[in-house]
Amino acid sequence: MENESPKIIPIQPAPYSRSRQAGESQNVLDHIVDDFQDNPASMQYFYDLFRRVYCHGDALQHEGMLVGTTCIQAPEELIYAFGATPMRLCNGSYHYDQRGADFMPAKSCSLVKATLGMLSSETVIPKIGKPDLIVNPTTCDQKKKASAMIEGMGYSVYDLEVPSVKESEASRVYWQRSVRQLAGRLQELTGRKLTRKSLKQAMSKTTRAQAAFRALHNFRRQSPSLILGKDAFLVTNAYFFDDIGRWTTAVEKLNEELAQRAKAGFKAVQSKAPRVLFTGSPPIFPNLKLPLLIEESGGVVVTDETCSSNRMLYDMTAVDEWRVNDMVDSLADKYLKPCTCPIFTRNDDRKRRLLDLVSDFNVDGVVYQAFAGCQVYEMEYRSVAEEFNRAGIPLLYVETDYSTDDKGQLSTRIEAFLESMKNRKKQRA
Amino acid sequence: MKQNNSRLQAVRDAVNRVDLNSFRFWLQLAAFALFVYGGYFAIDLGSRLPLFSCAYNDEGRAAICYLLPLQHQLSQPWPRLFSIASITVITGFLTFVLWFIFLNKGWCGYVCPLGTIQDWITALRRRLGIRYSRYSQSQFAQLTRVKYLLLALMILIPLGIGGGFFSHDMSPPFCLICPARMVLPMFTGDVSQFTIDFSSKTAMIMTAVGISITGLFLVGAFVKKRFFCFFCPMSALHYLISKPALLKLKKDGNKCTRCGDCYRVCDMEIKEIADDVKTVNIMADDCIMCLKCVASCPEEGALKATFAGIPILESTEAGFIKRINKGCSDGK
Ligand code: SF4
Ligand code: SF4
Ligand code: SF4
Repeated sequence: MENESPKIIPIQPAPYSRSRQAGESQNVLDHIVDDFQDNPASMQYFYDLFRRVYCHGDALQHEGMLVGTTCIQAPEELIYAFGATPMRLCNGSYHYDQRGADFMPAKSCSLVKATLGMLSSETVIPKIGKPDLIVNPTTCDQKKKASAMIEGMGYSVYDLEVPSVKESEASRVYWQRSVRQLAGRLQELTGRKLTRKSLKQAMSKTTRAQAAFRALHNFRRQSPSLILGKDAFLVTNAYFFDDIGRWTTAVEKLNEELAQRAKAGFKAVQSKAPRVLFTGSPPIFPNLKLPLLIEESGGVVVTDETCSSNRMLYDMTAVDEWRVNDMVDSLADKYLKPCTCPIFTRNDDRKRRLLDLVSDFNVDGVVYQAFAGCQVYEMEYRSVAEEFNRAGIPLLYVETDYSTDDKGQLSTRIEAFLESMKNRKKQRA
Repeated sequence: MKQNNSRLQAVRDAVNRVDLNSFRFWLQLAAFALFVYGGYFAIDLGSRLPLFSCAYNDEGRAAICYLLPLQHQLSQPWPRLFSIASITVITGFLTFVLWFIFLNKGWCGYVCPLGTIQDWITALRRRLGIRYSRYSQSQFAQLTRVKYLLLALMILIPLGIGGGFFSHDMSPPFCLICPARMVLPMFTGDVSQFTIDFSSKTAMIMTAVGISITGLFLVGAFVKKRFFCFFCPMSALHYLISKPALLKLKKDGNKCTRCGDCYRVCDMEIKEIADDVKTVNIMADDCIMCLKCVASCPEEGALKATFAGIPILESTEAGFIKRINKGCSDGK
């Protein structure tokens, strides 16, 4: 009798590393690593990290509770100070973008859809485990509405209230209160108290990371470039989920290598390679489509104004009195005042910032990425274009999303754009 | 030449990384000792000084605050004031201007004993772990006018006394209500100013007001950084003559990210220091030129202090990071 029972062969779920999703990451990473020459040796840390996390689906370890964030406006120093680990959830995967389409109207931002897709999936990549809390700053409409949907997936979500005007005193006071309330929520969550010591320790972590970022940023001023933009984006993308101490050490190593490169007169690109400033919707791995297209076509991204890189790490906090109250308010100021996000009513600071980057980094032209459906970036395009027009700097506006369907067409446009910049350079020389 | 340049650059870099807060603390202490105790060493820098080196600190003072002789001069009988005495008023004023031109409002941020005392009271509060309070911006806009009003009264009342409209018991009107008159002599053990003068009704009122203001000064400085400086008529007078000053606070708006770090640390809550990206000479009328803003700006060259056009302290990334690291590890 027993022998007769049919043998049940359990269906083995295919390992993640063989999935289409892993393949997407694999392709992009291989391209980043193999199709370019002279990658800095110290980039290996980041290549390996992405391979482990995105291609093999290895789990990420973290200390204390895990607090997901959906925007750079969530003060990570506070999260660290409560002994928790922040994890930026903004996602760049096309696989998740398609999955997230169930939640949002057809013409919505890929980033928001991908984040929703990721959170709703059984296999969340990066494999971070379930966040104990997700802090969702109320920025653009799509992120605002995403809040309840994420809650619907079984997460606990905290709406961090962000004002939509940043110049006024009322908004500053409102935002400072918001940040203090977040501290209250985190205290509830972790059962710890915010102390002067823990906050100072948290701030010294982020300060060290920011100092390393700024050093990298400064190396990128060099012309011809010492490092390509695709690598720089990978570095800052890693900040989303990597251990902050390890990340900083790796960036410091990279900086040492760049210092040597500078001394040796090394060129990562040809001297005449057009220098590009990247602005707009943030490139997030694996969606590095546009920066990669630029660099495949002989340009080099020398700096950016996006929330996955420069805007996330550049601005630093000053404190006058090192007491909890003053530190928290100082952090609040730092997250609001210099922010150049298009969700605010005015964008003077963004325009000034862009012009400053153009002159500081010897930029030849600007590429403006707007994710289809990201209204705020789409709406700001006009005023930014006018500004650059006035300054006589060429700008290419690209509306795109996470799919790779438009790659061919984009590549033609980008080549033409870079070509025209080369001609301009020649004429000027 | 080239070597000289790089040596100069090295000196500049070192200066830009200075721990401004402790540098300032020691300089203020030295200046305080000079102006409050210098008299014992027969130091006499005259009576036209642009700071509160109070004359009522008879023995210790090394100089006299210009406001006292100014009020005295203006309260002379009109026939004299508008003839021969006008020369002394004018030369007095010019000497004052000459002193002032050197340091501009740096007199306030680094030298004025009354300013220094307020900083010490702030330090005490900080030690005790008590939080400071800030004005709302509309309050600020109102308060910032008071010092001009005081300045006007400080000129008009003595003129009125000279013209016979007010009693002599009101002279010198500002000094009678100035907290420095009571606070500074205290440092040389003289508390005689802490009395109400009952000799006449006017004198009684003035001295009583003076005592209350001193009380207010002490309490105010405890809750609010540089509480008195917002109302200081000397500061108003400074601002009116600040154009030709040699020490200048300058801003390069193109390099500013409007991060607000400078505004954050400003004791005088000057919002324009961060938000104004057009003005080059950025010193506001309330500014005390403490230069804390320069030290806490992370952008290379966005803010700087220059002396006769030569940069002496400039905001730098390296300086900023050094200071913030120090703060994270041991800041007060
Ligand atoms: S403003 Fe303050 S520091 Fe300046 S003179 Fe007046 S009391 Fe002194
Ligand atoms: S600290 Fe510097 S960059 Fe920031 S607002 Fe002030 S001047 Fe501008
Ligand atoms: S503006 Fe700068 S120098 Fe002036 S009081 Fe404020 S911090 Fe001090």
